[in-house]
Parts: sequence; structure tokens; C-alpha cells
Amino acid sequence: MNLLEYIEFRNTSFEYIKDKKVINSISTKVYKDDITAIVGPNGSGKTTLGKLMTGILKPTFGKVYMFNKDIKYMTLGQVGKQVGYLFQNPEKQFFSCTVEEEIGFVLKIKGFDREYIDKKVEYLLELFQLDHLKEAFPLKLSQGEKQRLAIAAILANEPEYLILDEPTKGLDMDRKTTLVNILEKLNEKGIGITLISHDYNLVNQISNRVIEIYRGEIVEDRRNKD
Amino acid sequence: MRIEEIRIDPRTKLIIVLCLSTLGIVFKDIISLVKILLTTIFISICFHVDLMGSIKKLKSLLYILIVITLAQSIFSSDGNPLVTIGKVTFLTTEGLYKGLEFIFRMMIIIFSATILTTSSSREIVQGFVQWGLPYEMAFMVAIGIRFLPILTEEIKDSLIAIQLRGIELDKIPIKKRIHVYSYLFTPIVLGTISKAERLSIAIEMRGFRAYDSRTSYMVLKMSILDYIIIFMSIVTTIIFYIVY
Repeated sequence: MNLLEYIEFRNTSFEYIKDKKVINSISTKVYKDDITAIVGPNGSGKTTLGKLMTGILKPTFGKVYMFNKDIKYMTLGQVGKQVGYLFQNPEKQFFSCTVEEEIGFVLKIKGFDREYIDKKVEYLLELFQLDHLKEAFPLKLSQGEKQRLAIAAILANEPEYLILDEPTKGLDMDRKTTLVNILEKLNEKGIGITLISHDYNLVNQISNRVIEIYRGEIVEDRRNKD
Repeated sequence: MRIEEIRIDPRTKLIIVLCLSTLGIVFKDIISLVKILLTTIFISICFHVDLMGSIKKLKSLLYILIVITLAQSIFSSDGNPLVTIGKVTFLTTEGLYKGLEFIFRMMIIIFSATILTTSSSREIVQGFVQWGLPYEMAFMVAIGIRFLPILTEEIKDSLIAIQLRGIELDKIPIKKRIHVYSYLFTPIVLGTISKAERLSIAIEMRGFRAYDSRTSYMVLKMSILDYIIIFMSIVTTIIFYIVY
């Protein structure tokens, strides 16, 4: 089976503090067709790897390529048009005063018409079971609701790839199942996904590929199912 | 031996900074300002201040300084014209003089303030408390100092998050860009308020009260060297002021 390469790490290293490598010379390819899970203990470099994938962080050594283009030369806006990134703390990505507005505000800025935005917002509110909260203030929601809202807001942008950092944090079992179903459907539609997670149930349930990192190095790279 | 290794009391550093910045504000001629600036740099080096690091951190502020300097130069009409286009004079000798004066003054204030960075914020606040500043106010200062880097981080994160929604800030028209920036206020302001709320609950839960009779684990003690430096700083400042 020929897989479509999406993100490539070439001898990528990253240091927050000089000479202290958080990511140590990683070389691997992430495929668009996959649901790739990045797992590892706390401080192993999972979130850093996710941030390198989106260009939030630039590698200290080596390169990161997105569709064969050096991510160093891409602006965050360019990356954001293709990739949806869920922060570990979803509060960081809320910009509006109501749930409804939060999902639709990017579409509004991009100049979509009112009817299209309303339709899209309604669909996502329903999909993520947030319709009863559409007038609520995003920062006052529960952790699980914030998480769902952040994912819904990302999906409004119709990204072709998703990088989700701890997407099940604060979700109950029912909501986890709903999220798994949504992610599987999105993947079937051709949206590639990278999950950064501690939730081994989720990882084993939906990912085709698991990359385990420890102290900034890949210690295991296995395929779960196809 | 570097002064830093001898451990100077933060209150001594505060007095040095006060003396240098006062001189920087009081003097108006460039020669004196250059002398004060050189003294400031010398003292900063003695305190082992990372001047280059501080300049890098203040890079964005330097651009504003340069713009203000140019504006001062352009709008001062006194003196001999240096740059004239048609009938309009853009730069005069007086304007250039005022611009340089402003930039030297700001550099004195900024470089002298870097001396304080060699003490931790906790030490500086303790210095204020031992000077008699009410603890409530000192605590507010300490919280303010502690929250500054968090706020900076929050602004950066919000800017990253909004761009990662596929908004190319550098490609959208200025009017729309201002509109996008207005969205940043929500997470920054409300995030700060919610952090302050959480902090107040946490400190109440731990039984914190700003009693007057409060004791402190950290107690600063001035040495003879501190007194000598304070005396010399104040006397030199007065002499410098009287002589020039």
C-alpha cells in the first residue's frame, strides 16, 4: 500500500536550553492516510514534537518538511490553512465570547457568507453535543466541554490534517467514544490525524501507527491495524 | 573579583539605579549624558549584567526608541537645517541634538535598570518591605513581577493559536488585521482575570493574610560595603549635579 507522506522529520533535534536536547535527531515520516499516535511518558518530548510538526517551534538542528516543503519557510498562517492543531490547554485557543461565535469567527474573518457559517456552526454544535451551550462563555465551560469546543472550532476550518495534543483530557467515557467515532469518520474522509496522548485505550482503539518516544528519541514505531 | 560575587544588597542596587536614572533625567547636554551612560555601562559590567542579552530582549523597544528619536529630530525646527526637501526642513542640528539626547537618556534608564536583574524579584520585594513598604503593596509588586512573563507567554500563545486557525496576519489588509487583533483581547484579558481569581482562591485556602507583624524567612542584611556604595553613589550624584 502506497502511503502519502505528509510530514517528514530529517535528523530533527530541538533544544529549549542550549546543549539540552528535548528532541534528539529524529528521522521519520508521518503519512496522511494514517491515524498516528505519539506516546511516551511525561517530558519525553511528545508536545514538542507536535509543535515542531506545525512550525510553532523551529528545529535547532535538522529539518521538518510538510508536503516536501521546509516548514521553516512557511508562516503559521500557511500551516494553519492545512493543519488543525489542538493545544494541550484548549483555553489558549478561545477568542470569542460565546461558543457559537468561537466556532464561526474564523469563517467570518475569511469572508464566508452568513448562511454558510450558520449552517456549519449548527452542524458542529450538534456533532460535539454543544448545542445547549451555544450562548455560553467558552472559558466558563467544563474541561471536557472546552476540549470539544476547541476541536469543533478547528474542524470549522476544514483542515486536511489534524494534530491533537491530549484530545481526551477531561472527556468522560461516552464523549470519548463519540470523539473516537468522529475521528474515525474524519480519517475515512481523508483527513490525516496525529494524536499525542497518554490514553492508551484511545491509542489502541483508533491508531494505525504508534510512535513511542522516550527522552526525545523514537524507541518504538509499530503499526497497529490497517 | 566581580561585584556580584560579593553579594550586594538589592536596596543598594536600587539606590544606584535611582542615582543613575536621576542624573540621566536631570542633565540635558550630550557630553554629560554620554559620561553618565559610560558610567552606567561600567557599573552594569561590574555587576556582571548580560548587556547583550538585555539589548536583544529590548529589540522591539529599540525600534520604538528610534522612531521617537527620528520624530523628535524631524519636528524640532530650531537650529541649522541639515536635511531639506523643497521648502520643508526635515532635520535640523537642534533636532538631531534632541534626538540623541533622548536616546542617551533612555539608554541610561534601561541599562541602569538591568542592574536590578542581578537580584531576584523576591529579594527586591524583600528590600522594599525592609524599607517600610506595606506588605500588601509589596505583595502586589511581587505578584505583578511574577505574572509579567506569564502574560507575555499568553500573548505569544494567542498569536500562534489565531494564526494556526489559518489566518495569515501578514497578508490581510491592515483594517482587517486590527479587527483580528481585537480578538486577542478576549483570551488575554479574561485569561489574566481568571488566573488572578484562581490565585486569590488558592492563597485564601492556604490562610494567607497580609498581617503587619508578618515575619519573613528571607531577611536582608546590609554590609559595610553596601553602606560605602550607597554613600559614594549619593555623594557622587550630588557632586556631579553641583559641578556640572
